Order: sequence, then structure tokens, then C-alpha cells
Amino acid sequence: MSALGGPAQTGGVQPPTGMGLVLSIVLIIVALALAFFLVQMAGLIALVGIIVGGVLIAFGVHFVPVGGAPAAMGQAPGIATGVAMLAAGAGLAGLFGGAWAAPFGFAVALAGGAVGGGLLMAITCTMVNVIYVFGMGIPAASGKVAKDPITGDTFPEYKSQGTEGHGLPFISWVGGVIGGALGGLGGTLIYLELLDIYQAQLPVILNVTVEQIASVAISLAGIFAVGMFLMNAVLAAYNITGTIEGPHDPKFKRFPRAVIAAAAASAVAGIFAIALLGLVGVF
Amino acid sequence: MSVKIEVGAGGIPHNQILIYGLVGSLVLIYLTYLNTITGTQYFAFFGGLAAVVALLWGTDTIKHLCSYGLGTGVPSAGMIALGSGVVGALFGATTGILAPIVAIIVAAIIGAVAGLMANNVVRMDIPVMIVSLIELAIVGAMTVLGLAAMACGTFEFLGMITGTVVILGFAVQTYEASVIGGSIIAVIFMLGAIAIQHSFNACLGPGEQQDRTLMLAAECGFLSMIPVAIISFAFIAFLPALVALLVSVIGWIYTYVQYIALSKRDAYAWLDAKPILEPKGGA
Amino acid sequence: MEEIVFGIGITALAGALATVAGAAEDTESDIGSQGDPNSQVQLAPQMGYIHRIFNKAVAGEPPAYGLWVALGAGLAWAFMAMQINPILAIVLGSALAVFVQGVYATTAYLGRTASLAKFGQPVYIDILKSMTTVTMAHAFVAIFTTVAMCHLMISALGHPFPLPLLGLVWGIALGAAGSATGNPFYGKERQYQEQKFGAGVPISASGNIVRYAEAGQRNSLDNGFFSAKLGGPASGICFGLIVFFELWRTVVFEELNIWGPIIVGIIVILVFAIIDRYIEVWARKTFGPYTAPEEASS
Repeated sequence: MSALGGPAQTGGVQPPTGMGLVLSIVLIIVALALAFFLVQMAGLIALVGIIVGGVLIAFGVHFVPVGGAPAAMGQAPGIATGVAMLAAGAGLAGLFGGAWAAPFGFAVALAGGAVGGGLLMAITCTMVNVIYVFGMGIPAASGKVAKDPITGDTFPEYKSQGTEGHGLPFISWVGGVIGGALGGLGGTLIYLELLDIYQAQLPVILNVTVEQIASVAISLAGIFAVGMFLMNAVLAAYNITGTIEGPHDPKFKRFPRAVIAAAAASAVAGIFAIALLGLVGVF
Repeated sequence: MSVKIEVGAGGIPHNQILIYGLVGSLVLIYLTYLNTITGTQYFAFFGGLAAVVALLWGTDTIKHLCSYGLGTGVPSAGMIALGSGVVGALFGATTGILAPIVAIIVAAIIGAVAGLMANNVVRMDIPVMIVSLIELAIVGAMTVLGLAAMACGTFEFLGMITGTVVILGFAVQTYEASVIGGSIIAVIFMLGAIAIQHSFNACLGPGEQQDRTLMLAAECGFLSMIPVAIISFAFIAFLPALVALLVSVIGWIYTYVQYIALSKRDAYAWLDAKPILEPKGGA
Repeated sequence: MEEIVFGIGITALAGALATVAGAAEDTESDIGSQGDPNSQVQLAPQMGYIHRIFNKAVAGEPPAYGLWVALGAGLAWAFMAMQINPILAIVLGSALAVFVQGVYATTAYLGRTASLAKFGQPVYIDILKSMTTVTMAHAFVAIFTTVAMCHLMISALGHPFPLPLLGLVWGIALGAAGSATGNPFYGKERQYQEQKFGAGVPISASGNIVRYAEAGQRNSLDNGFFSAKLGGPASGICFGLIVFFELWRTVVFEELNIWGPIIVGIIVILVFAIIDRYIEVWARKTFGPYTAPEEASS
């Protein structure tokens, strides 16, 4: 019962099916209509924020250079870990910064989230190169392109025999930071939107002050942000089938598929998260 | 060079496990409602048992899904399962006595959307994708709801956001010291996310046997119950929490011993402090 | 001003705790061959190389550490809710989380190895006895320091997240930093130390991991000893820097201007970009190309 079929291994990028496209558009519209119907304008804005957040996460994952198992042997360029997990590490570190800055307003919190995610990736990517260069004596070389689009470095002569490249070329470093920043931005956006909703609704339902339910609102928004982050990151990881070198990788061109999928999935998960408190006390 | 995912054949058919898992976890989670009817907390541990049954089912689903080769690791399947499940579980929890049923329906909707997106937009084109993600989302929701019910004695939202703290001898109601307010839900999320994929991830290989994998799934479930039972001392009375702890420890010891016996049965050899056995004919 | 000095002290302490956590995390995962180098330990018997290395496949490092740290934090939170002293609560919570980690490690080794019966890989139970305890000890250090760091962030710096949620966030970040930095050093330099230094492992050599030690047969404790020399400390520096800069930019510059932390964060990122580029160019100049281009071969 091993590998019965699996993803079709054809050369080009398969476009989404017509049914898939129509379905995702219908789902997003229905979710937006429901959000407006249930929580009025605030709900609509919040859901738009959640969809944008999900899209940013899925798009950001495509920037993160991840080599998976071969990278741990210097057989392929990138960071030696799973793509969804590395993005989650960066995105959640961004969420940490964003949530901390939340009292200073929307823009500061979002920027704080983005910088937090980018900072984690900047330090991690630098340390990866430190290990490759000073621990293993291996220079960075991409396997997918011959020249670094930013610095113009050439790679084929720096690639050791029998491998697909190794280390993190500068373009992958930049990609990692952009990916981390987008992930942090998206995660923080989802968190802030949900936090607003819960902080507005919970005191009314329970007839208490905002301070008293602050921890409940923060926990709910936080755990939903984590859950939706992982859902979108895994969908994006399925799209790039495991490994990617960064924005110069041919696989990067697949991102529209993940963006559509993440938008629809976030819309559906988001509408349930927004409407969460609608039924409290009804039954 | 990645490891090819191979699984053993035979054993109980998946559909049978699906029905047992769905009905079993639903019935067990409703048994915790005896707490509300009888006014005690002794039935909280049934929530944990519901999670064990759900995890058994989820393990078999992951085995089916991952035998197709997703291009990314087995753990990501656990992440998307719990990511969609936690939304379903908490939304369901707001509907009072209908909670488990609503949680199943909502989780199924989110899982279906994720599956449709994965197949039709991201173009994984895996025949069992949609059904598997629906099943995994339901398993995730039942695991979260079950373990949360075990921690605080009820699967209702208001029970999850309220707790009591003793200040100077007086019991004061507070929202901070609760399953959601204290973010214990985050612990439950990760417990489920690792437990759901660990048994298949740990047993994969050409010698995989269904009874051994499922025994490990039950072991993971009982193991997850132990910390939840310890946490529940903070929320429910001493004796009910002790009952829950005893049930989890006894279940865990039994399944752990059984699992070791099954591993001994399937292993090539069971050696203690012996050198490497080079295969005949040399390496 | 006093508040800032206090904040800087907490920031330094949190950074130091994170450094210890990162070093312990990477050493632990390398002793257990967790994360991506695990694929080679799994592959070796299929290629005919029977070995005595601990094959502890518990998910990837980030989710696994997400669980251990969140669990330690959750249990510590529950103990604190039961009016137990925070330090004792964190120790107890971490100890119980390590128990869960140890059980997961043993089941993973037994499961993976039993499923390799077809290739003649036996289960060596002395590996379980001697190495599980060592990984548990390292994991305890990693979990305790991370949970203590999270507790500091809440009680001293006033982060709004409850302890378990913060544990989940930093646990995943710890696993991501540790696996990214430490894995290649263990995977390439240790598992394949017979291959040429200064080059990647050719794909044709996959599975031919080193199985014999200076004396006798290699076990995973030898790997922990090796990782502790560079991979572990480097992971520690990586995670320590992440935590330190994340806190430092907020604690020090938030008072000046609410946009201060963001501007400082961007500057730090640019500084790391320069460091990274310098290292990359230095490596290209110093090591030189593998095969000299035609026009340059004089």
C-alpha cells in the first residue's frame, strides 16, 4: 500500500481548477456577507483583516528558504527544517512582538509584528551561514539559479560535486527576512482583529469590565491566530511540496494557488472565530 | 534523499475505525455531561477517553493520507488538523449541550474547505485528501473539546472561561484562572497536535503494523491525559481530579507495556548491549 | 530611568536563559537524531548499514519543542494557580514535561526500529536505557530555562500573553532556531565525517553514515559530545540573540517613541544583513571555487 498516486509530477505549474476558483470566490463572499449580517461593519472589517492576514502568511511562506532533510547534509540550499514549522517560528515570534505593542495602536503593533518575525529570520539565517562557513567550510551556492539576482555572485563553480548546492546565498537570506516579516505581519493582523471583536463583545455578554476578561480575549485571539497561522502555513507548504530556495526558485511562481487557497480557508475559519460569541447564552 | 513513506497492509478496515471513532468519542464526551446532571465532577475523565478514541481514529486517517506522499512531513498533517479543529471545538463549545455535535459539524466544514482548496486550487490531486482533512479536523475538534472538558469538568464555554481563586480563604470567581483565560487551551492544542501524528510518524516504515500503530495512538492519548489530569487539580475538586489522574496513569501503563510487547514481536531482534549485527554478505 | 535599568537587567537575564536553552535544545536533539538528520539514521539500515544510533523521531523539532515548553508552562501555570511558589512550580512543571518527552522518545525509537525489521536492524534496548535519560536531562535544561524566561517576560516586563501561550510561541521559536542552526553541523560534519571536509555530502553517499567510533562502535552520546562543541553553542547564541534583541529594542526604545522599537529592529536586521554578506564574501574569497573556471586556470 505504498505511494498509490500522489501529486502529479508534471513539469509546469498546474492552474487551479475552475470549480476550485469559483468555490473559493463563493466561499469568501458568503463569509463576508455572514460577517456583515452577524456583527455588522466591525465584523466585515475584521473578516477582511483575517483574510488579508491569511494571504500574507501563505505568501510569506514562499519566501522562506527551506531545504528540509537534504539541507542538513549540505546537499541542498536552505535551512534544515520543515517549511511550515520555520515559518511558524518566525510568525509567532512576530505575534509576540505585535501583541506586546498592541496598546500603542494598530499600525505600531503591525509593524512590531513584522519586525519581530523579520528579526528572528535575520538572526537565524545569519547563524546558518556562520555554521556552514566556519563549522563546515562550505561556501553558499544556489542550485536553482546560476547567478544571485541581488549581488551578482556566480554559483556553479562554488557548488560541490554531487549536490544541488548548499548554504544560504544572499538572495535566500533576503527571502527569509521578507518571509518572516510577512508571517509576523499576517499573524499579528489576525490576532488584532479577533482581539478587537472579543474585547468589544465579551464585556457586554458577561456584564463585566474589559480588564476582567482581558486574559480570556487575549487567549482566544492568540490561540485562533496560532491555529489559523498553522493552517495557512501547511496549505502553503503543500503548494511548494516541501522545499524551496527563496524568491528566485522556480517554485516561487506557484504562489497564486496558495494565496487563493489561504484566502478561502481563512475566510471560513475566520467567520466561525468572529461569530464565536454570537451563541453564548442562547442555549 | 527523503525517506519513502511505506505502511503495512491489512488490519481493521478504515471505515470501521471511522465509525467506532466518531460514535465512541461522541458518546464518551457526552458522558462528561453527567457532571452537570448529577452535580459532581467525577465524570470529567470521560473527556480524556473521548480524546483517546478520537486519536485512534485520527492516526488511521493520517496513515491513509500520508501513504500518498505529501511532499512535506507527517507532522504538518497534525498541525492542520488541530489548527482547524480548535476553531470548531471552541465554536461548538458556545452552544451548550449541543457542543460536541456542533463542534463536529463546524470542524467538518472547515476541514472540507481546506481539503477542497488543497485538491482543487493547490492541485495536490490526492483522492482521499478532502475526506481525510474533514476527518482530521473532526478528530482535532474532539481532542480539544475532550481534553478541555477533562480539565474543567464541562464542555460548555462559560465553564471554560470561569474559574475560582482562593484569596485569604474566600473563593472568588475570576476569568483569569480558567481553561481559556489561562491559555491551557494552548497546551491542549499542542498535546493534540503531537499526539495525533506521533504514532504514525514513529511507526512508519516497511514493517508498519496496524495493531502496533494503534496501540501507540492509545498510549499517546493516555499520556496526554496525564498532564491534563494534573492541570485539572487547579480547576476541579481534589478527588475527581485524582480519579482522572488514576484512570490516565493506569491506561497509560497498560498501553505502554502492550506497545513494548508489540514492538518486541515486530522487531528483527531484541538485543541488550550487543554489537552491530552486520548483514550477511557485508555492508 | 530606573524602570529602564530594571528592564535591561531582565532582558539580559532572559537572553542568557535563552542562550542556555538553545545550546541544550540542539545537543538534546542531536543525541536523539531528531529533526532532519533523522532521515539519514532512518535510511542507513535500508542501505545495509546497521547502526547503534538513537533514532528519536518525535515530529520536527519546532512542534516537539512547542509541546514540551507549552506543557512545562501550562503545568507551571496550574501549580502557581494552586498557590505554589513560582520557582518550585516551574521546576515541577518542567520535570513533568520532561517525563512526557522521555516517553515520546522511547516510543519513537521502538516504533521506527521495529518497522525496519525487514532490513535486519535490531532494537538495542541498552540505547534506550542509557540515552533516553541523557536527552531528558538536556531537555529539562532547555524547558526549564525557556519557561523561566517566559515567566520573566510576563511578571517583570508585562507581556499580555498568559504563560502557556507564551510557552507555545517561544517553544516553537526555540525549535526553529535550534534545528536551523544545529542540524547541518550534526548532519554533515558528524554523520558524514568520512566525507570530504568543505564540501556537501554527495547524494550518492546517502545512508553511509559513520557507525564506528575511535574505539568500538559509535553511539549517540558521542554525537552529543561532538554537538556540544559548536552546533549547540551556536544554536544557543542564535536563540539568545533573538530573545535579547526582541526584548531589548522594546524595553529600551519604547520610552523614547512608540516607533522606536521598530526603527531599531530594522537597523538590527540591516546590521545582520551586512554581517551575513561579509561572511558569504569571506567564504567565497578564502575557500575559492571548487573547480576553477577555464579563463582563471593559470
